[in-house]
Amino acid sequence: MTMPSTPPAEASASNIYDLGYRRYEGERLGRRHAVLALYRESLRGAFGLGRSAASKVAPAILIAIALVPALVQLIIAAVIPIEAELIRAEDYYGLITLVLALFCGVVAPDIVGRDQRNRSLTLYFSRAISRTDYALGKLAAMTTAMLAITLAPQVLLFVGNALGTQDFGRFVADEWTQVFPIVFTAAIGSTLIASIGAVVAAQTPQRAFATVGIIVAFVLPLFIASILVQEIGTEVLRPAVFISPLDLLDGTTVWLFGGTLEESVAAEAGFHPAAYLAGCLVITAIAVGLLLRRYAKVQA
Amino acid sequence: MSVVQSTGLSKHYPGVRALDDLTIEVQPGIVGLVGANGAGKSTLIKLLLGLIPPTAGEATVLGYDIATQGPLLRQHVGYMPEHDCLPLEMNATEFVAHMAQISGLPRTAARERAAETLRHAGLFEERYRSMAGYSTGMRQRAKLAQALVHDPELVFLDEPTNGLDPAGRDEMLDLVARTGRGLGISLIMATHLLGEIERVCDQLIVIDGGRLLHYGPLSEFTERTQTLDVEVTADAERLGERLRAHGLDVTVEGHHVLVSLDGAPPFDLIRDTVVELGLGLVRIQQRRRTLEDLFRLAPEAAIA
Repeated sequence: MTMPSTPPAEASASNIYDLGYRRYEGERLGRRHAVLALYRESLRGAFGLGRSAASKVAPAILIAIALVPALVQLIIAAVIPIEAELIRAEDYYGLITLVLALFCGVVAPDIVGRDQRNRSLTLYFSRAISRTDYALGKLAAMTTAMLAITLAPQVLLFVGNALGTQDFGRFVADEWTQVFPIVFTAAIGSTLIASIGAVVAAQTPQRAFATVGIIVAFVLPLFIASILVQEIGTEVLRPAVFISPLDLLDGTTVWLFGGTLEESVAAEAGFHPAAYLAGCLVITAIAVGLLLRRYAKVQA
Repeated sequence: MSVVQSTGLSKHYPGVRALDDLTIEVQPGIVGLVGANGAGKSTLIKLLLGLIPPTAGEATVLGYDIATQGPLLRQHVGYMPEHDCLPLEMNATEFVAHMAQISGLPRTAARERAAETLRHAGLFEERYRSMAGYSTGMRQRAKLAQALVHDPELVFLDEPTNGLDPAGRDEMLDLVARTGRGLGISLIMATHLLGEIERVCDQLIVIDGGRLLHYGPLSEFTERTQTLDVEVTADAERLGERLRAHGLDVTVEGHHVLVSLDGAPPFDLIRDTVVELGLGLVRIQQRRRTLEDLFRLAPEAAIA
């Protein structure tokens, strides 16, 4: 767009060209801001925000399924006027094990794999953030996304159980000790599942391969640990529980909520529950290490 | 101040010397980086962005060391890769604003800059459309917009006209020229098309097989050579012999008699000789070098 300059006498000699572009003199906020922007955009993408309606469907359905047990509790508590605690917090992850794996399989290829699929890693790495910043930003987004399916149902369940009692205030006063395990197990579980999902999804730009890979990474160890520990059940094979992240999470959760392990792989294996917590942390650390290594080498 | 300075910069992969011992000091402006496919253009750009570490040597870009000041350096440079790199499910405004934030711009500034840059790139009307529906030309312009959004002082463009039709190519080259001359941003543009270089660039880096063949202002390349080109309708061989007899250094190529000059051009002698032989004279002119000549010269002879 061109506009003749004023005064008109000079119009033939000069024009002002509005190129719609000015030099930027404002502040530059550096790496921390860049990583936060990456985190925010990745998280939005995971839930399909700012994307087509189709990309919102799968995460929304899985979150809804994960909330079903808590909602059932909530409805029963409203209908039956007795103090009924049908679903206990420490059992929740056990109820939604497959949903956890599926949800991770849906969001990880979006958060982690999308930039490889679009070949846009170059655009990030040619900017102010480092490869490690990028990997940690993506891991943080994955972990936060997982909280939607770990922390949210637990909070809903807690509120549901509280509403089911005659005296809401008394329930909260009695059960406030539950708040720590709710938050802590959600944090441990989300980081564990997110780091495994991220490291698997980072290996391939193909969404389908990543989804299948993640589900296999969670479900196959469940299956193998179940056979080795519960079906065969010899002393030598008991440590097989440590190959299965979701069994370790189960053991950790029950322990932190102060319950006793019954009828689970973690119970049959018979280790001290602290060992399961340690197992969760070790697997998380290994997965994060592999994720950082992958991004240090991945071609940009 | 030079925008790029390198000493002995090398990148070796097993069995391949992608870039070998590059020593150069590039001045601000629109710089063509030319070489055949696989000559080392993309490798050089990635080295200068700090995306890959050099095997040997060192370099600074805008005064920042590529090895130790990568993140700081990358706040001030832009990069438009050769390959597809757009998240097609996003619209251009969201994408370019996001990239501005990744470069460290605050959120509000990022959105304003995204709109301005997309206007500059000619995508203002389409800025809220999903990029999946963009033509190749529009995608190339969106790629350029993301490279400019954080107001870099230097932008690397890797084959910016790749895949464009002639009209799209013209538009992209105009945009490159407007960005370099109108906004005063230095650009280093890799291409293997010499015509593009001649159209927009004021300096030229020529690399071949990972080695620097030449660097200098474009005018140096196209300056007159010390060769007089005499084109006749027939019998160029006879004219050549006659001129040799007069002590001139002559070579004959088809209908062209090329006379090496050593002082003032002997126009009168040539005219008279042509008339004596009864030949038709098409033209006499001092030859200009073309960029193609560069690739015909032996590397040793061409290194500036």
